[in-house]
Amino acid sequence: MKRFFATILTATAAIGAKAQNRFPKPDFESGYEYPDLQYAVPNELMWDVLDVVLLLALLISAAWAITRRRKPMIWISLISVLYFGFFREGCVCSVGSIQNIVLAMVDETYHLPWVVLCFFLLPIIFAFLFGRVFCAGVCPMGALQELVNVKNGRISKPITMVLGLLPWLYLALTILYAATRSRFIVCQFDPFIGIFRLGGDIELLAFGILLLIISVFTGRPFCRFLCPYGALLSLFSSVAVKRIKITDKKCINCDLCYSSCPVDAIQPPYANTPQEERKEGVKRILGYALLMPLLIVAGAMLMRMSSDVMSRAHKEVRLYDLVTAYEAEENPEIIPLEVEAFYMRGRTMEELQASAEKAQADYRLYSTWIGAMMGLVLAIALIRFSVKRRRETYEIDQAACVACGQCFSYCPQNKVGDSKN
Amino acid sequence: MEEKKNKNINNPIRRKEFLQMCGSVIAGGTVLAAGAKLATKTKVKESDVFWQIDPARCTQCGRCETDCVLPVSAVKCIHANRVCGYCDLCGGYYRSNVKELNTAAENMMCPTGAIERKFIEDPYFEYTINEDLCTGCGKCVKGCTSFGNGSLYLQIKQDICVNCNECQIAQVCVSDAISRVDYATAYKLKE
Repeated sequence: MKRFFATILTATAAIGAKAQNRFPKPDFESGYEYPDLQYAVPNELMWDVLDVVLLLALLISAAWAITRRRKPMIWISLISVLYFGFFREGCVCSVGSIQNIVLAMVDETYHLPWVVLCFFLLPIIFAFLFGRVFCAGVCPMGALQELVNVKNGRISKPITMVLGLLPWLYLALTILYAATRSRFIVCQFDPFIGIFRLGGDIELLAFGILLLIISVFTGRPFCRFLCPYGALLSLFSSVAVKRIKITDKKCINCDLCYSSCPVDAIQPPYANTPQEERKEGVKRILGYALLMPLLIVAGAMLMRMSSDVMSRAHKEVRLYDLVTAYEAEENPEIIPLEVEAFYMRGRTMEELQASAEKAQADYRLYSTWIGAMMGLVLAIALIRFSVKRRRETYEIDQAACVACGQCFSYCPQNKVGDSKN
Repeated sequence: MEEKKNKNINNPIRRKEFLQMCGSVIAGGTVLAAGAKLATKTKVKESDVFWQIDPARCTQCGRCETDCVLPVSAVKCIHANRVCGYCDLCGGYYRSNVKELNTAAENMMCPTGAIERKFIEDPYFEYTINEDLCTGCGKCVKGCTSFGNGSLYLQIKQDICVNCNECQIAQVCVSDAISRVDYATAYKLKE
């Protein structure tokens, strides 16, 4: 019966494709002329060039502003929110560019737009040279949260550490879904795009507004606990050539910078005093180092096992499931749109099965790698958390610092210099 | 290694700096290598950057209207006048099996009244799409393709489309009709 239905569908489809001229072209006697319709293609190149030039200009000014000036940073944030956010409606953005880069790596046919490459590489280069100046105010999402930030509510260290693993998980899933050509989850679940476009998916809009409300009370929840690009930048900023310092002068341990930091990136000297024997600490770190391969293997296995579930995000796998479910049904009443279109296109079941299996194999491969990556990240986080090194003064955690410049303006030592000049 | 063992074993600051330098070298190398590798993958001109619907594949499922990220879809109906039969009884204008052929709302195919009809000469009528009203639902396209010449068809308007990384409607399109196209074929027009 189903076969029969399928053949009817294909037959009608074939007729539909051929019978384009059911009615002859009319012969007009009144001298009617066909209207000439034009369809516009916007000049993308102009905007592309402007985007990259402005990105570079803002990055350079942020790198300049990071040397003890807070006011220019607010202007940079405003320009970024207005231009990259509201005017360009949040596209193109560096956070999403990760996906294009991944896709360009795995898919030979995909041509990476040069703008996207610039948006991916420039902030990384700047992070490597000066720290995360991109996050400071050039990224419209970070800038938006920074502009509404009033209070610096502090979240306890262990919670910060656990939540701090989320960006890595997000990055891993981003890579997985982009590499398998399933979906671009960063773009799809961008919480601020609804705000920049003044409308959109209601749940995401609500999530974005919730994040903004949270960022009034504690600094940048999205940057710290979600942003996958921030995770990537933190790798480069932690080994930055020119490291961000609170002050060039001697730290007087006044604690003002610590309370001013919105992202909890300043480590006070008193918090890290080892409470135990040195030997104990070394033992624990060695234990974690031994645990590392175990965590990597466990992560890889876990992700590989769940790869079949995750592969349902792929279109072909979903279609295959739908068609098999439809064909298994006894008396199908409603034919799903996808299944109808599948029969109309005249694709064979074998072809679909082959492509679905290929997608699943891709998922198995990439999710294994990504699971291993997550295991490594977890192991490194454990080790980092248990390394106790005595500090004499307040120091910046270069990986977490978003270079907003709050601490510079709060440091009394910087004020002393200013009044003398 | 030897030097480090002898002099700096009790000096954590030096060890930290050494590790940092190693990290910098690795990070710098990665940036350079990745940049060079990726630069070979870019193409300035003629790259497929626009999204477009292939009208030959489109099955008018109606998802273009609801799944585009924009509040009102960037997909609009386009009318190819040179393909149109200029019929009085238009499958895209009237619903099928209507009782009376008048412009009462219950007889109209278009839910937003975006199709404008103008009398040319007996028996021909010209149809024009008001793009400001069109939501890209594809109801008229289905009517025209099933009963007429197929002169009404859906296209992504490039001046409205925000050119997402991955087109949301391409993801949900049941007939795989949406793909990336280059500048020259930014519209797939019927002539």
